[in-house]
Amino acid sequence: MQKSKKVVVLGHFGVGKTSLIRRFVTNSFSDNYKVTIGVHITKKVVEISNENTISLILWDLEGTDKLDTIRNAYLLGTHGLVFVFDVTRPSTFEHLNNDLDIVRSKVPNTPLIIVGNKSDLVDLAELDVLFKKNSLSVDFVTSAKTGETVDDLFLKMATLLNEDA
Amino acid sequence: MLEKYKKEFLSQNVQFILLDEHGAVTESDDEIFKVSSGSLLPSLHPFFESIPSIDDLDENALDFFCVNLKFDNVDLIVDIKVKRKKECVLLSITDFTEHYNSYQSVAQSRNESIIKTELTVLKNLELEERERFKNQFIQNFSHELRNPLTSVMAISDILNDTNLSTEQVKMLDFLKVSAKNLHLLIEDTLSIGMIDAGKMNIQNKRFSLKDLFDLLSFTYGNKIKQKGISFNFIWDDKLPTEVVGDRLRLYQVLENLLNNALKYTAQGSISFEMNLNQKWANKASVRVKVSDTGTGIHENNLSAIFESFNRVETDEKIKGTGLGLTIVKNLLHLMGSEIKVESEKNKGSTFYFDKVFEYQIGGLKSNPLLEKPEAQKTKPKKNSKKYKVLLVEDDESVQLSLFKILLNTKQFHVDLAYDGNLVLQEVVNTNYDCILMDVNLPNIDGDQITRLIRDFPFKNVKNIPIIGITANAYPENIQEYIKAGMNEVLVKPFQKEAFLETLYKVLK
Repeated sequence: MQKSKKVVVLGHFGVGKTSLIRRFVTNSFSDNYKVTIGVHITKKVVEISNENTISLILWDLEGTDKLDTIRNAYLLGTHGLVFVFDVTRPSTFEHLNNDLDIVRSKVPNTPLIIVGNKSDLVDLAELDVLFKKNSLSVDFVTSAKTGETVDDLFLKMATLLNEDA
Repeated sequence: MLEKYKKEFLSQNVQFILLDEHGAVTESDDEIFKVSSGSLLPSLHPFFESIPSIDDLDENALDFFCVNLKFDNVDLIVDIKVKRKKECVLLSITDFTEHYNSYQSVAQSRNESIIKTELTVLKNLELEERERFKNQFIQNFSHELRNPLTSVMAISDILNDTNLSTEQVKMLDFLKVSAKNLHLLIEDTLSIGMIDAGKMNIQNKRFSLKDLFDLLSFTYGNKIKQKGISFNFIWDDKLPTEVVGDRLRLYQVLENLLNNALKYTAQGSISFEMNLNQKWANKASVRVKVSDTGTGIHENNLSAIFESFNRVETDEKIKGTGLGLTIVKNLLHLMGSEIKVESEKNKGSTFYFDKVFEYQIGGLKSNPLLEKPEAQKTKPKKNSKKYKVLLVEDDESVQLSLFKILLNTKQFHVDLAYDGNLVLQEVVNTNYDCILMDVNLPNIDGDQITRLIRDFPFKNVKNIPIIGITANAYPENIQEYIKAGMNEVLVKPFQKEAFLETLYKVLK
């Protein structure tokens, strides 16, 4: 039987969570920003290796800068977390470590991947400086617009969850 | 009756589904979407695939608010309640699509507005940072140019006093004109930096508008005639001769406009006019106009001519930086006026502005506050006494130039010091009549040494006149040096006359 894993994608509003999922699931992108209300759930089967697949159930949560207000029901049974911030908007990452503490306290002992999105809008060299300046440890720098490293990010999550299973 | 309507209303929005212990549907009222009996919920939507398994549920209900679902191509936003009963699991699904959609549009506007504000703030910060960098660069650049230019100007003056052949005098004149142009360029660049940085203050004082008009008419009349162009200057006799305003900045504006007219006109005429628009109470609105029959500007380029470093349709032979009109525009803006231009390509241009001045009805016969032109200010007093001067300057070329000027007057004994630390020792050992103190010195700055001297317990040391010499031309720098105890401050580059005039002024 194929394994199903619930992955919650969260972060501040307007950082591109929905776009990342759309790029990953349907390989499409839209420049029009549409605010997510509540939660959207989609699913994609990821092939980790030959004949080894895993079904990722992606919970795209409404963006908020008050992470402690996320409804606990949304997080029930979560297997993996993806925290997304916008590399062009400091307000979405200037309290990143604090935000991550809140997330970890709500969903302890769960794989967590940190993603800086919208890399197409900045210079990569500048990003390095930015991350060092803000003491940020970022797992993936993605662009939902160009698709850069989006698949890698979800494949990484699938691999982690497969190992965990 | 109420129960009937209530049931009718609720039945349209709420669906109840019963599941057996394996998660298969046993019953559904299909009020919102159709579910076949016996089907497994996870096959309907991924949401149901990721909620806790039935074995993990207890009697407490699980509430999922605002869940976006799609059934038969219909988007729904629902609240879902999952509750374990004795022999089954009950799901109640309430359709709040309309309600949540209205909330969505509110959230959309709010988030878009916040993001837009954030990005605008960031963009402004970036622009401010660039502006700061540019101004710092301009400041450093003009600072570095001032020392060599001081030497060039001073040595030109020294050479002027020697026996030169006609050919050498001619070459020296070229040298002096070039140095003066370079000086103006530095001052213009600095003015732009000061205006952009908000450091330029307009200082309104009473001055003679008529004298200013006459001075410019005389200066530019000669220059224009030398070029073989006719010059008309019109002063409206109804204008008050004395007004309150910033003479220096107005002079800078008019000089730029007249320079431009002179530069871009090869033949025909240039006119300079000041006319009265109207008078009321103690105010007069003055129309100032500079017209030429020069190259003119194409209509499409009119707005670009006021941008910094922008020169439009320029003949390469005509030299310039493109700063003049930016300074005119910005200075007039600071003075509460606005530059306007009318121009036609190959026909000529007219630049004009209206400026309101306060004035005293009846005019002033004599007023000590009236600012006089530079030439009428205190002239150097000369006598036979020999003065002892300490020149503290680390730049060798400036030091040599000033040293030569002082020696040529035959009125000064000059001691030199390169390092600020030596000054305190020197002033204790020798009775100086004056210290010429560069501000930027190795080890300790000139303003700091001045403070230390002013704190000395001995009167003969503490009261030595000190003239600061600096390449820092911002008004706040100069104020700071005066506050430190310097009697006068000379900004590099300066001419021999200005240097000696200041020196004589402070000598006892």
